[in-house]
Amino acid sequence: MWAILWKDLLLELRTKERVSSLFVLALLIILVFVFALTPEQLKQPAFGSALLWVALVFAGMLSIQRAFILEQERNCFAGLLLCPIDPGQVFFAKFLSNVCFLIIVEAVVAPLTLALLSLSFSVSLLGLVLVLLCGIVGFSALGTLCAAIAVRTRAREIILPLMLLPLLVPLFIAAVNVTGALLAGEAWTGTWFRILVAFDVIFVVTGWLAFGFVVQE
Amino acid sequence: MKTVTTHSDLVDSFLPWLTCVAMLAALAMVFLYVPNERVQGEVQRIFYFHLPSAWMAFLGFFIVAGASGAFLWQGKRSADLLARAAAELGMVFCSLVLLTGPLWARPIWGVWWTWDPRLTMTLVLWLIYAAYVLLRVFAGDTETVARYAAVLGIVGVIDIPLIYLSIRLWRGIHPKVEQMAPEMAWTLLVCTGAFVCVFAWLLRLRLRSLHLRDEIRALRQHLVAAS
Amino acid sequence: MPYLFAAFSVVWIVIFLYALSISRRQRELSREVEALRQMTEERTKTESS
Repeated sequence: MWAILWKDLLLELRTKERVSSLFVLALLIILVFVFALTPEQLKQPAFGSALLWVALVFAGMLSIQRAFILEQERNCFAGLLLCPIDPGQVFFAKFLSNVCFLIIVEAVVAPLTLALLSLSFSVSLLGLVLVLLCGIVGFSALGTLCAAIAVRTRAREIILPLMLLPLLVPLFIAAVNVTGALLAGEAWTGTWFRILVAFDVIFVVTGWLAFGFVVQE
Repeated sequence: MKTVTTHSDLVDSFLPWLTCVAMLAALAMVFLYVPNERVQGEVQRIFYFHLPSAWMAFLGFFIVAGASGAFLWQGKRSADLLARAAAELGMVFCSLVLLTGPLWARPIWGVWWTWDPRLTMTLVLWLIYAAYVLLRVFAGDTETVARYAAVLGIVGVIDIPLIYLSIRLWRGIHPKVEQMAPEMAWTLLVCTGAFVCVFAWLLRLRLRSLHLRDEIRALRQHLVAAS
Repeated sequence: MPYLFAAFSVVWIVIFLYALSISRRQRELSREVEALRQMTEERTKTESS
């Protein structure tokens, strides 16, 4: 498991293509939204958090897809499955590598978004990190499972968002609300945060258990 | 095995008639028997088809989940076909909910659509169904795809409570169920019965055609192998 | 009430369309069965001759 994770990270270290392209993409999505909204709307914390998560979801989707397409193109997945390892471990490797990439991207994009929208930095930094982390974990868990399915179908670029986005509804609503409360300086550890954590736990476990059904030949 | 086939034959010959009778009874009750609702007037009669459609959509989803689980557990082809047929039907009934809902909302609330929790929930459900059906369409019809679809069906049903919870919280309290007059309750009951019949009938038809296709494929392969 | 009428016709139209799609697929299948039958008949002919 650590070997696969290490391989993914090493590949990225050498080429840096995934993180850099994700970073630019997230920035572009934010730019599109800034142009689409009026300056008054942009000042509201609710829009800041919505923007942050829209950028994260769409950039993250491409990131996950990229990971599996790479494996599929070079036919590495079949080789990986021939190894005598548990598919659950393959899941964790893929899931963790994606979490790492999104953390790196978000570490730059999140402060940048706050700065671009001139939102205050005086929010609970720990809270922000925690919320982003929870969002990334839940997203990557479900995303890894769905991408493993989508990559081996025709029209995989379109089928992944079709599967993933409706399933992500609870994560998205919860994350946007917690972030919005955080940015507005309100209490954020309420029901929404609990839903977010519950989503993470449920889908990490589901992904781990179900991955075997998806990847076996 | 013999009894099973005769039993299903009986159901097959019986079900279309039952469906027709139930549907006629339901229509008669909706248009002739049940009194007008006091506040909403005639339009409220949409409700007797709207709510059973929603229940059938949910029923479809649970059949998909159950059959998917059975398929992953035992790997039976018939469970996979059942999940597939139920998903299609669930999507049909979900579409009915989404079509009749706005037609009811427009004269009553003055808008086609509100982001009411139930409406939103139905829309999300429809989208999950759509993804499931499209996965089947895009990915072809192999053992692997059957497993993918089963995983998606189960993940969907795991997600439903979370979706429901988050949507409820997102838009506050939803409209509460009012006390129903006995005539209304009876009409609703008969309509639900009629919808169950339609659902079961269409499900059987679709299942039969799926099984037939499997048999034809097997035969064709057999012939090709023999020649 | 046009809305009531519209809602009920929509229900019927959707169910009808779905039934139609099932019957269309059924027709395709029976065509395939026909093709298979011909294949087997030809084969039995060639075998007997």
